[in-house]
Amino acid sequence: MGRLRGLGSFALIAAGLLLVLRLLHVGVPLFFPDTRPGPFTLASLDEVQRRVGFAPLVPAYRPEALGARPSSLTVTLSPQPTFVIVWRGEHYLSVTQRRGGAMPAHPAGSQPLPDVADSTWWRDGSQHRLALKRGEFWIEVETDLPSRDLKRIADTLTPY
Amino acid sequence: MIPAYWYAPLPSFLWQVVLHSSIMGIVFYAWARHVGLPSGRSKRRLLGLLLVLPLLTAAIPGRAGLEFRERLAWLDSGRVLAVPLGAGIRVYHVILLVALLMIALTVWQELLPALRRPRTSPAGVPEGLARFARSLTGWERCEVVMSPSADIVLATGGWPRRPRLMVSRGALGQLTEDELAIVVRHENAHWQAGRWVRSHALFLVRLLQCYNPVALWSFREYCLEVEIGCDAEAVSGRDRRLLAGTLLRIYEATDRRDVATRGALRKRVDVLLDGPGPDDTLPVATIGIASAILLAILPWVV
Repeated sequence: MGRLRGLGSFALIAAGLLLVLRLLHVGVPLFFPDTRPGPFTLASLDEVQRRVGFAPLVPAYRPEALGARPSSLTVTLSPQPTFVIVWRGEHYLSVTQRRGGAMPAHPAGSQPLPDVADSTWWRDGSQHRLALKRGEFWIEVETDLPSRDLKRIADTLTPY
Repeated sequence: MIPAYWYAPLPSFLWQVVLHSSIMGIVFYAWARHVGLPSGRSKRRLLGLLLVLPLLTAAIPGRAGLEFRERLAWLDSGRVLAVPLGAGIRVYHVILLVALLMIALTVWQELLPALRRPRTSPAGVPEGLARFARSLTGWERCEVVMSPSADIVLATGGWPRRPRLMVSRGALGQLTEDELAIVVRHENAHWQAGRWVRSHALFLVRLLQCYNPVALWSFREYCLEVEIGCDAEAVSGRDRRLLAGTLLRIYEATDRRDVATRGALRKRVDVLLDGPGPDDTLPVATIGIASAILLAILPWVV
């Protein structure tokens, strides 16, 4: 044990400090809830504005095949305030709204969606994906609906 | 919340270097106190690791994302950085301020003095002193120069093939021949056992972390430990009190406001008079395993 002299005290000190760090990780958000970056699951669209500070853009065009209600509403606060709404029925639609930051990643072969300003769309397997710039927001649409529905979704995005 | 730029690759890396070196610094400091670590090789190893390891652990990619920070990380420092302190100020503002202060301190206390070369000349150097310096190991081609300063100053510099010893006029006037010889031996020791290479390599590592207060502290401690190591080599087989007395004279001649220099001199004298402590307090294997543990743990703190 002579060759490992002092290792026990190191382990104790390191473990003690790690415990303190974990307490900080768990304890800080209890006292300062807005220090947690999320993701937070929301129960209603009414909560979005309060959580992320902007009104969510929601497509008015929603085929019945997506289901009657969104399956999830999620917000994250960091690095950029972001809101994600997902419908999941016979088909699937996800709309991500992010304030600021870089343009969403897109393949080199992506192209503008006809008659939709500041748009880029591409096919990703069975899914269609669309990136839009709306004011200070980047919008990402991801769906397995037919490609003609992309334009309808983009055209009917309205603040909630 | 903290701003998005904090999570860009470079700021995120820079912050994690500070975070990881702070955690390592606390662990090593408490450990050294607990085992009563004396000055010596083990302490220099810990300080060297403290400068280098955080650069490795902070560079591990893929940890800045929300998924990692929220679900996998042991600590997401973003939560602590976002704690409000009042008047719109959060903890990360204080961190930014400290980093800026450290950069200013580095420029003022380290870079400017390094660039501002003292006015020196080979003229007036006693022949006996130059001959003695060139008789020491590795100093056959040593350039000995004199500074007109009236203070007691001896310093070494230059490059491995062309070392340089600077002696002030004050040192020549105030130190006896024996005192001068032992201080020159101390300066020569800076060139032995790889000390020059290690010190300069760590200085570069320290400059990379010019914003990091832990790196500033650990590099200064490392330099003090090197001085103590050189003192030990200079007095090896000789009377320790001679060098201790010389250092005390320099201590007394140093401006009282220069607390850091006086503190370092005081510590060197104490170590010289107390004798060297056991240098095997922390065996190499122990330090190696401790480093491996930290290498494995720190990436989970973001």
